Amino acid sequence: MAARVDLHGKQGLLVDDMPEMRSAMRIQLSDVGLEHCDTARNVKEAFEHLAQKRYDLIVCDYNLGQGADGQQFLELVRRKHVLPLSTAFLMVTGETGYEQVATAAEYAPDDYLLKPFTAELLGTRLTRILDKKAALAPVYRWMGTGALDKGEPDKALAACEAIIAAGGRYALDAQRLKGELLLSLGRAAEAQAVYEGVLAQRATPWAVVGLARAELATGHDGEAREMFEQALVAYPNYLAAYDSLAHLLARTDKVAAQEVVEQALKVAPSTQRTRELGSLAIDNRDFERAESAFKRVVEKDRTGFFKSHDDYAGLAKSYVEQGKTVEALGAVRDMGSAFARSPELAARQAAVECQIHVRAGNPEAAKAALDKALKVQQSARLDATTALEVAQACFAGGRADDAKSIIQTVAEDHHENDAVLARAQSVFAAAGLEDEGTVFLEATRKRMIKLNNDAVALAKSGQLDEAVAMLSEAADRLTNNAQIALNAALALLMHVHRNGVDAARIAQAHAYILQAQGVNAAHPKLAEVSQFYRRIAPAGSPALPG
Amino acid sequence: MDTPIDPLAPLDPLVAAVIHDAKNALLALDTQLADIERRTARFLDDECRTARSVDPECRPARADFSAARATATRIAGQLTELLTCFRAQQGRLRLAIDDHDLSDFIDDLLAELGPPPAGIAFAVDRAAVDRLGAWAFDAYLVKLALLDTLRNAFRHARTGVRLGVDTPPEGGVRFSVADDGPGFPEAVLIGAVVQSGGEGTGLGLVFARLIAERHATPAGRHGRVELANHGGATLRLTLP
Repeated sequence: MAARVDLHGKQGLLVDDMPEMRSAMRIQLSDVGLEHCDTARNVKEAFEHLAQKRYDLIVCDYNLGQGADGQQFLELVRRKHVLPLSTAFLMVTGETGYEQVATAAEYAPDDYLLKPFTAELLGTRLTRILDKKAALAPVYRWMGTGALDKGEPDKALAACEAIIAAGGRYALDAQRLKGELLLSLGRAAEAQAVYEGVLAQRATPWAVVGLARAELATGHDGEAREMFEQALVAYPNYLAAYDSLAHLLARTDKVAAQEVVEQALKVAPSTQRTRELGSLAIDNRDFERAESAFKRVVEKDRTGFFKSHDDYAGLAKSYVEQGKTVEALGAVRDMGSAFARSPELAARQAAVECQIHVRAGNPEAAKAALDKALKVQQSARLDATTALEVAQACFAGGRADDAKSIIQTVAEDHHENDAVLARAQSVFAAAGLEDEGTVFLEATRKRMIKLNNDAVALAKSGQLDEAVAMLSEAADRLTNNAQIALNAALALLMHVHRNGVDAARIAQAHAYILQAQGVNAAHPKLAEVSQFYRRIAPAGSPALPG
Repeated sequence: MDTPIDPLAPLDPLVAAVIHDAKNALLALDTQLADIERRTARFLDDECRTARSVDPECRPARADFSAARATATRIAGQLTELLTCFRAQQGRLRLAIDDHDLSDFIDDLLAELGPPPAGIAFAVDRAAVDRLGAWAFDAYLVKLALLDTLRNAFRHARTGVRLGVDTPPEGGVRFSVADDGPGFPEAVLIGAVVQSGGEGTGLGLVFARLIAERHATPAGRHGRVELANHGGATLRLTLP
């Protein structure tokens, strides 16, 4: 067996709310050679440590007392990109938490250890995880570390290939990462081949679900659904299969999607899935269920780390649809005290309040709230969710044109983002305008495609100034649209290529590439445009990451 | 006359709760013993060396620790099996299927099993382990089933026990535990009963079958347990 990683010199973080357990485990860690180990009593302290220092390993108890559990903590740090992929995460759990940890889907720990355990076993598990992390480090290096560093997926894929070609004990892990990378890059046929290759050797849940996701990505919804359902018969606790099936069903049959999420919640509780349940229940007009779901999210998370404006907005809507106006307004007030002040918060509160007053038959109060929401919306660049809430309030308040104008901007800005477009469609549906919404959003999507095509045609016909002007205007207005930003960068670079170096155009192209990368690092055109930039930009030009 | 033991008999929830607490206490005891043993190892060895000058028969205290730990973990394992069967009866048994490196799995199994009893040779055939690499299964529950099977084999073997891992022709991974003892009673072998006279409750066999059968693939293949007598008892646990 190859020499294993030594824990001496590694930096560790131990998270446990019980002082005596912290102390006992700290001694155990020291006994197996981990000399440098910080401790945290709760999620807040752990988060602060992670913000300040890079750790090689984290040992976290599942049960963190009141507030969040270890699984929620792991979800939080992964979602907020403060936990590098190279950091080992070991969850320690009693038997009661074991199933929740062992069945975690998207945010699974690297390993878990059932209490009680000896120092020797703890050391063995940690060194195994660190061994694996070291072997997969070349892949992690290019997968990026967070929101500002989305990595270079092509290089990560090449690193996967190298590990697979070398064989050895981590080849299967590399296949798993390769499948995920290919799916994220939209290369579903190649991902499908990876999963089929794995499944020819062995049945394993991630490859079964991966293959179904590849089918889904190639438009074979029926086959994908059947495969997810078969996966759940064989692996009834594999949460990733529930999540994927629920997302698939949510497009066409939200009642069935809600049922799948309910089943997943019986396997393991989760803030994210409970929130999803509430959202589906609202769409299905199952307001009692929505109320209980959002209430659970809001009440369970006393730390405030995991809550979102959506939870309070969802709770308020569940109340008001049941005629509970006082409770609904109370939820809006609670939203205000649960989060720091921001334009998003102010707009969201006002927009939800407007909808409550409309429903309760208070037109004057509704108008005042809507005016307030629109004032914030016009003065700040709101995120898509908040903007769509304001649009929904506009529909409720009888200002359909304002609603459509807001939705149009959001849809243009996110025309490649299915989740945002689905949410926009649900705003139309809530206003009783489902068919109009479908036509409206499809027209917006086509308009964006046309804009891109027209600009590309201009560029190809040599009218580069016109192409640059058209795309730059759009890219400056639609900062969340990666495709527009990349085409704007491409037009600028073509201009430079044809007419000679122009520092201002180079700088502008650089800014658009970074803008696109920040929105979608896996965009299929990003690598091509980045490569063109590196070829065209003279020495001394701003560098691209990677 | 004694009432026959029925490992499949429903369990009262209160009894299950008490068993759960007792199992956790035993596991905690095992950990405490392990830590005490490790911390006092040098002192205990020195003390034994000193004592041998007056009593050459003085047995190292480490052996007593190992025996105490083995007892605690064996009983805790059986209680866990009982609780797992209880959860299955209630429709609450959940398997956590994930990839596990078979080499690591065998290492963990052997570490938890401890050394064989005096006079019993224990051989492990790992040839297929390296070839297979990883397999998807519930390592915690399969390990419990194999630990119980191996402990039974140690108890019944005359001179040797063998643990093997291979791939059956129809696919999957197969763990085999063979001893050179008297073999399974005929009634157990043909599946008429899980326990026939002598010692033991038959719980281990019920548990192993339960865990094997709960492993499945989307193609509809399930795990299984097969018994055979080939110069002793052989239990084969196949995972799909």
